[in-house]
Amino acid sequence: MSEERIRRDPRAERETRRARAVEAEEALAPAASESPSGRIRRDPRAERAARTGRAAEPVAAQPSAVPESESGRVRRDPRAERASRTGRATPVAPQPATPVPSGRVRRDPRVDRTAQRQATAARAEAAAPVKTVADPKFLILAVPDLEDARLSSHDKDVIGAARGLADAGGGAVVVLAFTGPEGVKDGLGEAGADRMLRFADASFAGYAPERRAAAVLAAIQALNPQHVLFPDTGVVGGDVGRRVAVALGDRAASNVQRVAPDRITRRGRGGRADFALAPPRVLLVAAEAADPVIDERYEARELPAPRTEAVPRVKDRGLAATDPATVPMAEADFIVSAGNGVHDWDAFHRVAAALGASEGGSRPVCDAGHLPRHRQVGASGTLVEPRCYVALGIAGAPQHLQGISKVERVVAINADAHCDMVKRADLAVVGDVQALMPALERIAKERRHGN
Amino acid sequence: MAIDVAVLVSVGRHPVSGRARRADADARAVELALSIAGANVRLIHAGDPGEPALRDYLGMGANTMTVLRMAPEADPVLPLSAHLSSMRPQIVLMGTRAEGGEDSGLVPYLVAQALEVPLVPGIVSLSLAGERAEMLQGLPRGRRRSLAASLPLVATVPVMAPAPRMSAFGLARRGTIEVKDVTAAADEARAAWTEGPARRRPKRIKVMKAASAADRVRAVTEMAAGKGKVLQNLPPDEAAKAIFDYLVAEGIVQAKP
Ligand SMILES: Cc1cc2nc3c(=O)[nH]c(=O)nc-3n(C[C@H](O)[C@H](O)[C@H](O)COP(=O)(O)OP(=O)(O)OC[C@H]3O[C@@H](n4cnc5c(N)ncnc54)[C@H](O)[C@@H]3O)c2cc1C
Repeated sequence: MSEERIRRDPRAERETRRARAVEAEEALAPAASESPSGRIRRDPRAERAARTGRAAEPVAAQPSAVPESESGRVRRDPRAERASRTGRATPVAPQPATPVPSGRVRRDPRVDRTAQRQATAARAEAAAPVKTVADPKFLILAVPDLEDARLSSHDKDVIGAARGLADAGGGAVVVLAFTGPEGVKDGLGEAGADRMLRFADASFAGYAPERRAAAVLAAIQALNPQHVLFPDTGVVGGDVGRRVAVALGDRAASNVQRVAPDRITRRGRGGRADFALAPPRVLLVAAEAADPVIDERYEARELPAPRTEAVPRVKDRGLAATDPATVPMAEADFIVSAGNGVHDWDAFHRVAAALGASEGGSRPVCDAGHLPRHRQVGASGTLVEPRCYVALGIAGAPQHLQGISKVERVVAINADAHCDMVKRADLAVVGDVQALMPALERIAKERRHGN
Repeated sequence: MAIDVAVLVSVGRHPVSGRARRADADARAVELALSIAGANVRLIHAGDPGEPALRDYLGMGANTMTVLRMAPEADPVLPLSAHLSSMRPQIVLMGTRAEGGEDSGLVPYLVAQALEVPLVPGIVSLSLAGERAEMLQGLPRGRRRSLAASLPLVATVPVMAPAPRMSAFGLARRGTIEVKDVTAAADEARAAWTEGPARRRPKRIKVMKAASAADRVRAVTEMAAGKGKVLQNLPPDEAAKAIFDYLVAEGIVQAKP
């Protein structure tokens, strides 16, 4: 949910490490004090740390320099959270090392660590350096799908592939974004865009491949990019990309598995063979063909978008209503799922229907016969990939979480604020699910159907 | 009113045994063509007329097939386009991509360009309303989009379309194959490619930058936690509203204006 992400900054980290080493040395000084016997006591661990530039703390306790995960999420600090909940603030500034009667300086490592962590976070936030390519030798155009105005992981891979091509020879990445009127929810600069071209007009939204292809062709005309990359997705990037290639008279490479400036690999023969060839101009790139850009920020400077015109011959009449109950679990778009916390099964079926979601469940509820077996989500059930997963009264056992590992939006409702499902969720409500289900049904009926 | 529907079919390969068979997506295109009321279905293949797998398509119920005889791996686009230009079908269907060669998925686009007709990719159903075709396009996650276009058109059929019927042995035997010799250019660009067996890559678990091995271990073993918002002590109505607003903001459900 939080849009504000703290990025990892290797430079800042290095600095922190150095700072920690200095501290370790300082800490060493009093430690190497004279013991009653008159012999100097040494602390080999601190010394080693000072030498190697690592902190003397055990690894696990390191204030793990900010974020970790793929998406660069901020790590939570349960201790700090608890403190803020209980109204007891965690000390922020490093307290002055107080001399104790013995004359030795006593330090509180816990306070030190907190302060360090905050300092690192602040620095990482402030100093996330924006990389710029001022005078590119050539341009690489990437056209992400941006479904639901978000960069999918496939989109990020494609921009990552473009980044690789650009970085190999001093080029720059231009991302062409059909943003829709509301704009993109993810940062294009964080994904690796040096420049961006935005087409925000509503006429590019929905299924508009002819208009989109015309826009990409206009951009190619204006910028003359060396390569144009699309995600090779069925009816979005794969469709527009092929239209562009055919219009250019270019023999696009599709299902591209690896990208390098002089050679690409594409898959054929029903997935049984790889072909290696010199890259054509248009590349339709498979998912995971390249790694996405992480922990970096590029300029994403906006370029003026060329005007385009196309008369669409295919008319989009919107999404057709499909019955969520008939869609197989693995294909479901939106799942409302019940666990042992759900007791009122009528209310559950009603809320799922009111939201227009497919039903799912954890293993115990399928074992108990509340839901049919094919509705079970998890390691021994179905691995699901909906755009959104609402977990009602599900604890979040590892076997269950495995089943939703690819889901990008998880909503949890649970009585236990500390269960793993709440930790996994993008939005979590702590409370009684029996009381919440009718309320959610009511609001869904009011606002979706107007009654 | 009879309507001419041409289906371009290719020879597929069984993904495990590698044996020649009807191509999965092409067979679904034939199925879809046979489901159109009043359609006069014509099958067309460019390649070797002696290929036994072609009879699997005839066994589905279309009784003739035209084979444009050409060398294997020659470029089929020009002969196919020329043949279709003279035949002028109102609808041309084919699988989204082949499964035995380059599998580029470009052929439908090239054919549509040559015929100067609109192309509709990924359809799972088609019905006619006068001179218009109304279609459902298959999207990931079980969603369907409703599209309309006027005839003539080219459309592709994905593997998520309804499953094809079985091939009946008697029909397959009785069906006739008309052979037409065509000249097709050899695919010269292709000669410069090198081909090898597909290299399977391990699925990516996590993308990260790590300073040390310890970081890497931690990143894959630790639970990704804490990106979310946690709402506590809200009355049910407000909590429900927060959830509904989130679902609307993320485009999961649509609210009536
Ligand atoms: C080999 C193996 C394979 C497995 N495969 C799967 C699998 O595929 N799928 C699967 O789901 N499980 C699987 N499991 C089981 C798994 O380990 C868990 O036991 C199971 O997922 C727990 O289900 P649960 O969360 O619904 O129930 P519980 O663990 O009982 O959790 C219930 C949750 O509901 C909350 N709750 C209770 N009352 C309320 C209330 N009134 N309001 C709100 N919240 C409330 C509780 O706080 C708790 O978090 C497998 C186990 C094994 C050993």
